[in-house]
Amino acid sequence: MRREFERAALSASLQAIRDFIEDSCRQAGVERATAHGLVLAVDEACANIVEHGYAGREPGPIGIAFDAEAGKIVVAITDRGRAFDPKDAPAPDLQSGWRERRVGGLGWHLVRQFVDEIHYDPDARNGNRLTLVKEIGRGKE
Amino acid sequence: MEILTERRGPVMVISIVGSVDGMTAPTLTGSFRAQVTGGYIHIVGDFARVEYTSSAGLRALLETVKETRQQGGDLRLAGVRPEVLRVLELSGFTHILKLFPDIESAVASFSA
Repeated sequence: MRREFERAALSASLQAIRDFIEDSCRQAGVERATAHGLVLAVDEACANIVEHGYAGREPGPIGIAFDAEAGKIVVAITDRGRAFDPKDAPAPDLQSGWRERRVGGLGWHLVRQFVDEIHYDPDARNGNRLTLVKEIGRGKE
Repeated sequence: MEILTERRGPVMVISIVGSVDGMTAPTLTGSFRAQVTGGYIHIVGDFARVEYTSSAGLRALLETVKETRQQGGDLRLAGVRPEVLRVLELSGFTHILKLFPDIESAVASFSA
């Protein structure tokens, strides 16, 4: 099963993007907790594109392709904004007390908690592609 | 997302209905901040009707925890649902925030 979706890179699009992932998961028979994690991972990735990818530019499109394959869900997120490799995200602060705790910087950490693979392919001409892979029926919830 | 506020003596209860994300979190931050500016530093965040939060919601919570505690108050959460709790746990927020099963116990904790 493959479903595709496109919205402008605006924070007002995030709810529709989450609804799309949730509906797709339901159609693919993905169990609830796994679907919630995938919805969160996609939301965080898209929020980053809205906030940073198109920062200072006219908001362009965010494209989403949802593929239900044997034993896994593959979600590809494409944009035409500034490239950002998730590998470059700073390590999250999960331990320090409230005074020292840094505000923000948890988005990519959460993405990593809820998917099994993250691939990033920057392409200045044709758009950046972030691929999230979630194994179904085993591995992380 | 909808925000309802209710005063319970010195405690302000802020009930959030809906999803907290990159779109709605700034409204939530603004609502918390307005209470602190108005002198309410003992705040209960009623999360019983929040089905979803992203890291944007965590940002709103941490900012408010810092602002209230710096003035001797606190932001405490009530009725957090399992899916939101999981996000709080994975982000290390359950070490920082005080959580209560319902509004009554969260409000009462301020006079304990």
